[in-house]
Amino acid sequence: MSGAYAGDRTTGFASPASDSTEGPIDLSEALDLHRPNRYPVRVVGDALAARGILHGDVLIVDTAARPQSGCVVVARWQDQTIVCEITRQRGAWWLRSGKGQDAQMHPLDPAHDSEVWAVVAALVRMKI
Amino acid sequence: MPIYGLIDANSFYCSCQRVFEARIRTAPVVVLSNNDGCAIARTKEAKQLGIRMGDAWHLIRRRPELARVQWYSSNYPLYADMSRRMYQVLESRVPRVEPYSIDEMFLDLSGLPYDLPAFCRQLRDEVRAVAKIPTCIGWGPTKTIAKLANGIAKNRPELDGVCDLNREADRQAYFHELSIGEVWGIGRRTAEKLQRAGIQTIADFVAMDSRAARSMLTVVGARVQAELRGQSCLPLSELAAPCQGLACTRTFGRLVDNWTDLREAVSHYATTAAEKLRAEGMTASFMTVFIQTAPHQKDTSWYANQQSCGIEPTSDTLVLITEALRLLRRIWKPGYRYFKAGVMLDGLCPAGVQTGLFQTQDPVKSSRLMDALDAVNGRYGRGTVRPLSTGLDRTWRARQAMLSPAYTTRLQDIMEVKAW
Repeated sequence: MSGAYAGDRTTGFASPASDSTEGPIDLSEALDLHRPNRYPVRVVGDALAARGILHGDVLIVDTAARPQSGCVVVARWQDQTIVCEITRQRGAWWLRSGKGQDAQMHPLDPAHDSEVWAVVAALVRMKI
Repeated sequence: MPIYGLIDANSFYCSCQRVFEARIRTAPVVVLSNNDGCAIARTKEAKQLGIRMGDAWHLIRRRPELARVQWYSSNYPLYADMSRRMYQVLESRVPRVEPYSIDEMFLDLSGLPYDLPAFCRQLRDEVRAVAKIPTCIGWGPTKTIAKLANGIAKNRPELDGVCDLNREADRQAYFHELSIGEVWGIGRRTAEKLQRAGIQTIADFVAMDSRAARSMLTVVGARVQAELRGQSCLPLSELAAPCQGLACTRTFGRLVDNWTDLREAVSHYATTAAEKLRAEGMTASFMTVFIQTAPHQKDTSWYANQQSCGIEPTSDTLVLITEALRLLRRIWKPGYRYFKAGVMLDGLCPAGVQTGLFQTQDPVKSSRLMDALDAVNGRYGRGTVRPLSTGLDRTWRARQAMLSPAYTTRLQDIMEVKAW
């Protein structure tokens, strides 16, 4: 930005740091938001609290990453877009609800009604 | 030998809406033009219901057979961002990509060490997986053939979204089948002219004597013919030429009959045009303002007028508003119901080039103010800080009653996902 002071252009003594300013940290760069495969989404509900994912959190999801068993994904399931765990068991992929012991499972079936939309890559919480 | 590809998104605007709403993945979807006027994008389900391009929403919305149709106002911030994603995916795989329009891109596939059909299928899969947009790809030795191949890939489901017209033998069958009107660069009038001369199919046109083609259709037609014969005349251009002029014009959400609303609208258009100018790093030295009533209004009389003037080169919103309103005052006539207005800027040149010795504005002060304005609006959203002359209620604004969130460009609008 023109005219903004960044520790470089001092009026009296020349700033020894004038060739070394780097500006503030750019979180969108750290989170790779400029890449075509990165999308921010917002979590609704606390079903994944055990995984440290809370209601209102912003997740950065990656549509180019390959899901691995046990990771958290955004999935299409019928008419909904959900976030849950994915797991590989008995030679097949399953969506697994994050709710405790009696976790529900749903078989992954891209041809029919459920598919992985993206893999959760990062989490941003704006308020603690 | 060059090889050009063309990749084109299927019902692009509708596909963008589907990316963020699971419930419409198989529903008929229609996106409407500015002001929710008429259909400009339709999914195949909507086409099957008989909705045509340009159908007026207010005329067809209540038809019982269209009850299931999902209508959307056009959401250009979303479409632009999804187009950007599509381009980036392609750019990471193909040496050169030309963004020809928001939903179609030319590819330079020359000399790639891959099996092209397999490679193009992969490209399609990757765009689908990453940008979530379904596409078709066609390719051949020229851009015109690539464009034709793309159309064939789109219209024939048995080809599974790809069409290879690189070999002449493969082209011949299609050329005998397809009408000359299907060719990129041959408009309706030209097609009629050719048909009167007995040229019906593309094969007929390719076989036509090239001097006869040139004398009938000028050098433009001759170039199309050469391209169809496999001689590349149109190179890939990776960047759009710098704009010579820019315009901001809109149809109002309702007819405007008073000076206050018209003044606000024109101030708003001047503001938007100034933002575009600064984004390009340009200044303008010529301005035109126009207003007009609805072209087919039976009950009231018709009026349209415009005024232009040279201005001191600037990209300052406040200066441009002052000039625009001065021009508007000259053409404004009470008693009419206005339908559309616009501000056009010409004589663009890069900012910082001094053109006059006696400047009346202080360029440093102006550019500081505009930088601050752009920084605030860039951070908190367009129109956060704007001149009061652009109005508060702005009831003249275009209707966008069925606008979806800007899912990828505004933090408060991002897609919600239910934790399960």
